[in-house]
Amino acid sequence: MNNILEIINLSHAYSKNENSITGINLDIQEGERVSILGPSGCGKSTLLRLIAGLEKPSQGEIKIKGIKASSRKNLLPPEKRNVGLVVQDKALFPHLSVYSNICFGIKKNKTKDDIASELLTLFKIENLKSKYPHEISGGEQQRVALARSLATNPDLLMLDEPFSALDKDLKETLYSEISLVFSERKSTILLVTHDQKEAELMTERQIMMEKGSFLE
Amino acid sequence: MKKIQLILLLSFFGHVIMSNEVNVYTSRHYDSDDLLYKEFTQETGIKVNIISGKGSALLQRLKSEGSNSPADIFFTVDAGNLWKVQKEGLFQSIQSDLVLSSVPENLRGPNDEWTAIAKRARVIFYNPENVSEEMIKDIDYEDLSNPEWRNKIVVRSSSNMYNQSLVASLISNLGEEQTESWANKLVSNFARKPQGNDRSQIIAVANGEADLAIANSYYIGIMLSGSAGEEQLVAAKKVKMAFPNQKNRGTHINISGAGILKSAPNQKNANRFLEFLISKKVQKTMVDKSYEYPILESIRPSDEIASFGTDFKEDQISVKSFGELNPSAVRLMDRSGWK
Amino acid sequence: MNRFSIWRLLPFAVLIIFTAPLLIVLSTLFGSYSENWFHLYEFVLADYIISSLILVIGVSILVLFLGTVTAWTVTTYNFKGKKVFEWALILPLAIPPYILAYTFTGLFDPFGDANNFIRSVFNLKDSTIIFPNVRNIYGAIVVFAFTLYPYVYLVSRSAFINQSKSMQEAARLLGLNQLEVFYKLALPLIRPAAIGGMMLVIMETLSDFGAVDHFAIQTFTTGIFRTWYGLYDLQTAMQLASLLLLTVGIFYFIERSSRGDGIYTSNNSTFSPNEEVNLTGLKALTAFLVCFIPIFIGFLLPIVELSLWAYEVNLGFFNNKFLENSINTLSLSFLTGLICAALALLINFSIRYKPSILVGRFSALLSIGYAVPGLILAVGMVQLLVYLDNLAFSGFDIVLTGSLLGLVLAYVIKTYALANSSIESGYERISHSLDDSSKLLGSTSWNMLGNIHIPLLKTSILTSVLLVMSDVVKELPATLILRPFNFETLAVSTYIYASEERMIQAAAPAIAIVLIGLIPIVLLSKMIRSSRPIENRE
Repeated sequence: MNNILEIINLSHAYSKNENSITGINLDIQEGERVSILGPSGCGKSTLLRLIAGLEKPSQGEIKIKGIKASSRKNLLPPEKRNVGLVVQDKALFPHLSVYSNICFGIKKNKTKDDIASELLTLFKIENLKSKYPHEISGGEQQRVALARSLATNPDLLMLDEPFSALDKDLKETLYSEISLVFSERKSTILLVTHDQKEAELMTERQIMMEKGSFLE
Repeated sequence: MKKIQLILLLSFFGHVIMSNEVNVYTSRHYDSDDLLYKEFTQETGIKVNIISGKGSALLQRLKSEGSNSPADIFFTVDAGNLWKVQKEGLFQSIQSDLVLSSVPENLRGPNDEWTAIAKRARVIFYNPENVSEEMIKDIDYEDLSNPEWRNKIVVRSSSNMYNQSLVASLISNLGEEQTESWANKLVSNFARKPQGNDRSQIIAVANGEADLAIANSYYIGIMLSGSAGEEQLVAAKKVKMAFPNQKNRGTHINISGAGILKSAPNQKNANRFLEFLISKKVQKTMVDKSYEYPILESIRPSDEIASFGTDFKEDQISVKSFGELNPSAVRLMDRSGWK
Repeated sequence: MNRFSIWRLLPFAVLIIFTAPLLIVLSTLFGSYSENWFHLYEFVLADYIISSLILVIGVSILVLFLGTVTAWTVTTYNFKGKKVFEWALILPLAIPPYILAYTFTGLFDPFGDANNFIRSVFNLKDSTIIFPNVRNIYGAIVVFAFTLYPYVYLVSRSAFINQSKSMQEAARLLGLNQLEVFYKLALPLIRPAAIGGMMLVIMETLSDFGAVDHFAIQTFTTGIFRTWYGLYDLQTAMQLASLLLLTVGIFYFIERSSRGDGIYTSNNSTFSPNEEVNLTGLKALTAFLVCFIPIFIGFLLPIVELSLWAYEVNLGFFNNKFLENSINTLSLSFLTGLICAALALLINFSIRYKPSILVGRFSALLSIGYAVPGLILAVGMVQLLVYLDNLAFSGFDIVLTGSLLGLVLAYVIKTYALANSSIESGYERISHSLDDSSKLLGSTSWNMLGNIHIPLLKTSILTSVLLVMSDVVKELPATLILRPFNFETLAVSTYIYASEERMIQAAAPAIAIVLIGLIPIVLLSKMIRSSRPIENRE
């Protein structure tokens, strides 16, 4: 089995102690679905930002597909890592249609249409294709955000509390639908949440986190 | 190669050098002057390029540009600025016989660095309804500090160069100490805080806000011509003009003047330009349009100005002295509280 | 990874170009001090400082009041005329303070048009003077406040619009009435925006020469010119200017650093607009007057007076030269607007893309040019251009000096602050998570700028071009000294006439300045009309 992600003794400190992490070790294999569970402020979002290359660690290192991506001295820029991140506020580009949002990261023009329509079907949002983000509901926005990050076919897809702003019924539907998509595509997933049930439904391995460290 | 391309590109934005032209830095900005320049081009085929601005700012530009300056002529309404350029050694001596023979010596630089083009007098305006002939007859600048004029005089701010020249000429004639005590008393005679320009002083006298106004002669000409509007014409008709110090040294005179710069790229054209400015025809146009006094004795001032009398005595003190004394004058006015 | 990427270097490169002429001015502080300093210190410096201080404090208070109250009124209430006021409130921006000053004296001098009019209507004696004298510091405060308040109005209005409804509803439920909501909640929340606008007003007030000179008030700027022109002492004048510059600089830095903890953006993906309260009767009338009076004093009154003057003189002014001057003015301001907006965009992007406290602080310096009196900036610029000419083109004739390039550069330095303020606040509204997403989706820096930021900042970019244009149209002392031969703008001809107080002749070019200045303002107003909360979904 191939290691997609390898984290060795990773630490990152903020001036306020909140959100800092210390001594994190983690391996994720290809096709594995892992979740990190913990209260807010425990540092789980920081970990995702470090993996994405949006922050530089103060200690330790991160390898993606065996290549050293982050250390105290070196930082591979986010656009060269081929990882995806979906956050709670979705960060859809407000000036682009649903379709253009999904296509944003696709480099090859030829296959653009095929990939986009496949994802539109997969997430059941074909009818929203030409709408703008502010014209669709929160749940729909979340589907678009997921579709957009899968469009570049990332080696690792990270989800940061993706469903927490949605109501209970909607969540339940999304859990099963999206888990299905992930397992069909054999995506490698790292989910961060404070919801035990969500973690169990969506992933096969759960890690508890508190005050910046994993609880073994 | 690259450098040449760059220069070509920049010269597109910049000043393209042409052969038959004369470059004038001027602090005079009258529409009538523009017409004169056009006439010069028609007569001689020489193009006149103009940059106008405050005298001191132009002088600064001249100094910075140094020997590379494109300027041929420096033309200003303030004698102090002429003197400054002269002191910096930027002028060359005027060689033109025509200029030297027609302009009186006291209206040229000590070594003919510049020549006057027109004159203006700093005079006193009064409203005969409020001021009797008796009171104004034989008035001197010195008399303006007398207590009889308490709260009755209006004049513009001491930032104005005409006031600075006047005070500088008084320092030169009376000495600093006497001038300062004069200025102190004059300030207490002010009818209001100094404000507005010479024209608003004349209007204040016409309307009875004050009895006396110190102002330049040509303003009344412009007002009387009606070009400045009905209201100013009405006001101008109410006032009369008095020439101070007729019984002694004469009324304070300031000049518009011009000189040729040492670095002038178009010396010949510059010479022709000066000769053109003091030609009879141009002098006549100038006095008719800008209401200044001519420097040629053969020319009569405009009718509006001539109606107040043409034959008055002029203070012969040289422009050099008020150029030199200008900073002292400003400091003196600061001390006296002349705002 | 490239440590010296273009985004790190750009702000510094621009900073060097921008500050060179200012450093030339500031370098005089290390030169010799003439004895004129004793004189200044003993007799006039205190006056300069005190009147500048009174002016700045008075203008700040009045501008804050006018700007925020009008903005609150048009965003919170619905009353007759509101739709017009929303955009008409920025019209005074088209009137330069010096032109309002000229028309004020034309109207309110003892024998000005307003006094004459009242006297003739009520058949009063000539000695009756109705309106107070305006040629004093209070008159100047009014003049600056009523021409410059739109800077505060503009930013306050968009800040009020972006405040969420739920917050205000919560406040109402806690028992605050509409007025209390304004000054206890809404006002403190827009503090950073309003103060940013106020800084522009303060800088413009301090660097103004035309209006204070006309009213014969002894401020720092008039002192600088008096020292230069009267005492023939440019060195001391530049030293005075340096002090003014440093004062404004300190002021500016304090404001910048107090801003850090004051950015209140709400995540507006669930934004809902405030509902407007309908007003009728006396309340509607009050709201109407609150909005009408600033427009009346700052725009209608000067327009009427200028038109009266222009009517008095024959229309011979409208000739080829006038047309040429207008075209010069328009193209110069447009070019400057484009350059300023492009620079502001690139620099703000680079600060966002490669954040660094140092670069952030330095780039704040770029705005300081706004506070430099135009003529002083021009003096520094001439010296810089001559130096460059000698360096690069020795043996050739003068190339840069007296070129349009130098003039445009001076304008860019002078007005960059306006472009920056609009683009900076535009950037503050773009969530950083969008940047993260686009990076993770493989965007390069140019990609992110072109595909995400520029489309989202469209309005801010346009606003910045327009603000710069409306300012360049009015600006003049720098033109006087830097312009090429035979190049005249409308402001130059207005100034030339006005400096001789030939107001009637000055009226036509002045009206043209206002009209050309109105083009960007009207476009701005259009954007304001279309930026009502419902459509504001950026």
